[in-house]
Amino acid sequence: MTVNTGTVVAGSAILDPSTNSAFNPSAAPAAATPTLTPISDTSAAKRPRNAKGFFRGGGYIGIILPILIIGLWHESANRGWVDAVFLPPPLEVVKESWLMLTEQDLLHDFWISISIVGQAFVYGSVLAISLGLVAGLSRKVELFFAPTLNTLRHIPSVAWLPLIVLWLGLGAPAKILVLAKSVFFPVFLNTLQAIRHVDKNYIELSRVLTLSRWKMVKRVILPAVLPSIAVSLRYSAGLAWALVVVAEGLSGLEGLGFLIFRAQGLLLTKQLLVCMIAIGMVGFVIDRGLYLLQRRVTRWKVAFEG
Amino acid sequence: MAVPGLLEIRNVSKYYNIPERPLLQVLDNTSFCVEPGAFVSIVGPSGCGKSTLLRLILGLDDDYQGDILLHGERIVGPSLSRGIVFQDHRLLPWLTLEQNVGLALENVKRPARDKAKTVREHIDLVGLHGFEKSYPHQLSGGMAQRAAIARGLVNRPEILLLDEPFGALDAITRIRLQAELQQIWRVEGISMVLVTHDVEEAIFLSHKIIVMNANPGRIAREILVDLPSPRDRASNAFNEIRREVFSLMGESTVLSLAA
Repeated sequence: MTVNTGTVVAGSAILDPSTNSAFNPSAAPAAATPTLTPISDTSAAKRPRNAKGFFRGGGYIGIILPILIIGLWHESANRGWVDAVFLPPPLEVVKESWLMLTEQDLLHDFWISISIVGQAFVYGSVLAISLGLVAGLSRKVELFFAPTLNTLRHIPSVAWLPLIVLWLGLGAPAKILVLAKSVFFPVFLNTLQAIRHVDKNYIELSRVLTLSRWKMVKRVILPAVLPSIAVSLRYSAGLAWALVVVAEGLSGLEGLGFLIFRAQGLLLTKQLLVCMIAIGMVGFVIDRGLYLLQRRVTRWKVAFEG
Repeated sequence: MAVPGLLEIRNVSKYYNIPERPLLQVLDNTSFCVEPGAFVSIVGPSGCGKSTLLRLILGLDDDYQGDILLHGERIVGPSLSRGIVFQDHRLLPWLTLEQNVGLALENVKRPARDKAKTVREHIDLVGLHGFEKSYPHQLSGGMAQRAAIARGLVNRPEILLLDEPFGALDAITRIRLQAELQQIWRVEGISMVLVTHDVEEAIFLSHKIIVMNANPGRIAREILVDLPSPRDRASNAFNEIRREVFSLMGESTVLSLAA
């Protein structure tokens, strides 16, 4: 179940520096020493961006599989392989989505979900990065929080929800709080561990250059850990977006998650599929956006591009 | 620029206390001095404590016996008056070359334009003009080490400490950089202390060579190099000194040299 992945997969032990962003293969050690490659061009700062446009540079092959899937879906509905109650044809779903937009105010539910995730993401990640930095810089703070956080972390968000709903009611605040919690842990743990992985030689360098502690944080530690933080932000944003569906399904009367579970109950398969597709596409956009952020903060790195 | 002062290392001993191991002595009563504006090399086999000695002079570690004095005053902590070039260039990969060099001026109160000018001058000094905006991964090993030298010098230190700065470079680049370093030393008029295990490098560059032995690290002898400049690496006098240094460093090295 989606709900558990956040706490389990991202649950690298708080006091174990050997695990690093195990949940995301693109996580790289923060302070990787750069490989020395002879330079061939003096205008080196204008390094060609390796980021490939979506359609340039072979990106278009990614569109083939969705087309095949939709084609297969269409055919199976057309030929009556699957009952339309369980799998309505794609065109029907498109029509339904238009109906939902125009007559059912789908956008309202859509924005409800987006706004819950957006707020949770901002609160959770800001708190996580701040606390991660403080704990990373001070062993005492880390030890102070470690046992508590390590216990709380293992209680899945869905297990929190009932209690939080009791306290805060069925509205948005309860969901925001629960989602913020699931954003918090991956980001916090990655920030903390990235700091623990900062090359000691760089710390020694800042001592030799007599940098103040603040300057050291700003010039050395923060840039070194930004790539890890960006990866964890990308991961936890996806996680929050997945979780909002569950949270809305479990409590409240609006949002995409509510619509999905209601559609299931009323056997409105078309609506169910519309919501699923919307969720998938928003997830894709969120991930793309944060991927670009991640590229931006790792642009000084030479990466393996496959 | 600060006027170079006399650097004195007086009876310095250093122990490493590793739990559950016998006390490890890495330096045994070492004494020597670096005259203002001199070029002094410390050579010796690995494990002779030469890099440890450099760390002490740098002020990174004050847990030692004896005294390290500069201008007659005991060294306390790192200071911008003592620059350093490490064996690994240790440029920060997320900063451009000019930002890396400028990092050494972060803690200096001077107008930004003034700093930028100094940074530019030092990048020019090490021959990296045109690469100001490059990131370290875009530089070759030799260029990165030049950038590290520029960073070490940008504060106009009175002493530049070099910890096997060319150890990771290919032979040709190394020889070229040695000549450039000598040129820089003449221009800047500061003291330089070079730790190396390249005996030829030490003879080529130094007034004085401190030859060290290991277990525990101690000074075998000070050798004054009184050869005219530029020094011919193939001359007899040069080889004479080379032979002497090798024999001081121990029989095994002589044997391996002969073989």
